[in-house]
Amino acid sequence: MATITRRQVGDALAQQGILIAFAVFMVAFTLANPRFLEVDNVFSVVRSSAILGIMALGVTFVVISGNLDLSVGSMMSFSTIVVLDLHDQIGPLLAIPAMFAMTLCLGALIGFLVGYLRLNSLIVTLGMLSAIHGLTLTYSGGQNMDIADKEGTWFGVFGQGFALGIPVPILIFVALAALLGLVLARTPFGRKVYAVGGNSAAATFSGIRRGRTVFVCYLLSAACVATAGLIQASRSLGSQNTVGQGLELEVLAAVILGGASLMGGSGTIFKTVIGVLILGFIQNGLLLIGLPFYVQFVVTWIIIILAVWLDIAAKRGRLWSPIA
Amino acid sequence: MKLRTILATTSAALALAGAASAETMKIGITQNNVGVDSYQTTYEKAFIAAAEANDAVETVVLDAGGDVARQIAQVEDLIQQEVDAIIIWPTNGEAVIPAVRKAHQAGIAVIVTNSNIAEPGFDFVKSFSGPDNITQGARSAEIMCDKFKEMGVENEAKVVHITGQPGYTTAIERAKGFEDRLPEVCPNVSIVDTQPGDWNREKSQTVMEAFLVKYDDIDGVYAGDDNMGVGALNAAKAAGRDGIIFVGATNFAVGYEAMQAGDYWGSIYQSPVDDAEAALQTAIDVLKGEEVPFLNYFDTPKITQENLDEFSKPVF
Repeated sequence: MATITRRQVGDALAQQGILIAFAVFMVAFTLANPRFLEVDNVFSVVRSSAILGIMALGVTFVVISGNLDLSVGSMMSFSTIVVLDLHDQIGPLLAIPAMFAMTLCLGALIGFLVGYLRLNSLIVTLGMLSAIHGLTLTYSGGQNMDIADKEGTWFGVFGQGFALGIPVPILIFVALAALLGLVLARTPFGRKVYAVGGNSAAATFSGIRRGRTVFVCYLLSAACVATAGLIQASRSLGSQNTVGQGLELEVLAAVILGGASLMGGSGTIFKTVIGVLILGFIQNGLLLIGLPFYVQFVVTWIIIILAVWLDIAAKRGRLWSPIA
Repeated sequence: MKLRTILATTSAALALAGAASAETMKIGITQNNVGVDSYQTTYEKAFIAAAEANDAVETVVLDAGGDVARQIAQVEDLIQQEVDAIIIWPTNGEAVIPAVRKAHQAGIAVIVTNSNIAEPGFDFVKSFSGPDNITQGARSAEIMCDKFKEMGVENEAKVVHITGQPGYTTAIERAKGFEDRLPEVCPNVSIVDTQPGDWNREKSQTVMEAFLVKYDDIDGVYAGDDNMGVGALNAAKAAGRDGIIFVGATNFAVGYEAMQAGDYWGSIYQSPVDDAEAALQTAIDVLKGEEVPFLNYFDTPKITQENLDEFSKPVF
């Protein structure tokens, strides 16, 4: 009969600190308002979080490779506006691949600048944040985009549809998370991403092509952004041209909250998903409790700090650092 | 006889136009952030069109791109160019005051358009031309109350309120107008919750989803603009909740379409074309020495499913 030692419990806690933090918040919010865990509410939170979450999946690769991506918010506005505009011009069937191609070009450009030219990713993507926003405004002429015939299109299926009783955005999120989780954890490419982010020089001397690895990370990120834009466009069949503005920081917060290191080399897709869910459920939970919004800003921040603390404390096995 | 009258009138008009061009008014405008949204884009087009149609004015049209520093520099440029009047759409109601004072001291008439500057700057401004957001909020309350009375639920209806971005004057004023007026016209209607939607359709949709979970009984939604109103409507549709009365403000094309479809009850019609023309006219009137009220509001009428046909669909 297997005995579980105290040490094993400690290790398990250390591995899943953020998961424990998540569980604590869920219980607290449910006690405050029992409706919090109703299926409808959970679906609506996860569906809203799916857009942020899908973007965070791609950014997880970029962050693990030791880089940043601040352009994902602008890029999401871009793909949303482009796919909505093309929908009315060339039909949804062509609009979707065209939008993906255009967004991937942006990702390839960033990947080239950061990966092959070795420019600082913070500067490159901060610049692209503005540049892509300008591109979107130029493309749309400052106007909002709306699909003319909202009743007569099947385009709404990605954002509003249900399959097997589950909202389609959630299914896409789960499928992509599973796929990218496998790529990161179980493929040679995934190991290269960790190696490049953990120790770039060592990776290079081991024969890993850093440039190519980083380039592919940004391509993956752009593909995720395009998917998020598709869901966004499909969900409301129309959009403001600033729809993704500011999301880059929320995405980054979710990835870091999940435990990925800003210095690169660590993090997992599963933990990013937990980070995304924590952010989504905090927002919803505070709304359900009915706190005034200005208090919500403060409480959101406190909860995030608490989560990070619980995560660190679980890794250390105690609440404060013995060598602080 | 008739022909002669026409000829006489025409020549008189031509003479007038000739006289006016002899002393052209030079008016400069520095806008907030053209191209960032449809309202501002349409405003600029309408302003230029109105100025071109008027031979008596010559305009310098500038845009600050949302940047306070750039706007201050633009005001200084306009002072250097010795314009007769400056129309400013403030990027920030506080930060532009020193520049406005400088223009005032240089003897240039300053007119604020669309969103007013902060009160310490009022002494340096001839007139504010724009929408009256408190009245807009109050009118939205009346639209909603009238509809509740028509439905016979004015004694038990529950309303949720989705506001614009916290801290924005427009958001604060509309919320105040609505919250002050609703108890006056419908004393038994209660506002059960208020949360910001940040002028953002997606954010508003998320907020409304939470409201729908939290409250089994919602009769009305007031949103600070139609973009947010339509976001809330999308949430209600997805949740299969019928019979909710949606009222917004700043009628957008999406709101107009939702009214046509019968999903959305009413809004406030605020035309960027009226806004731009009112600003130009205010500047002209000030320069002609006419009596202009300090708060020179242009009218923003109520629009509902009932009188929809009297209005053209907004271009934004």
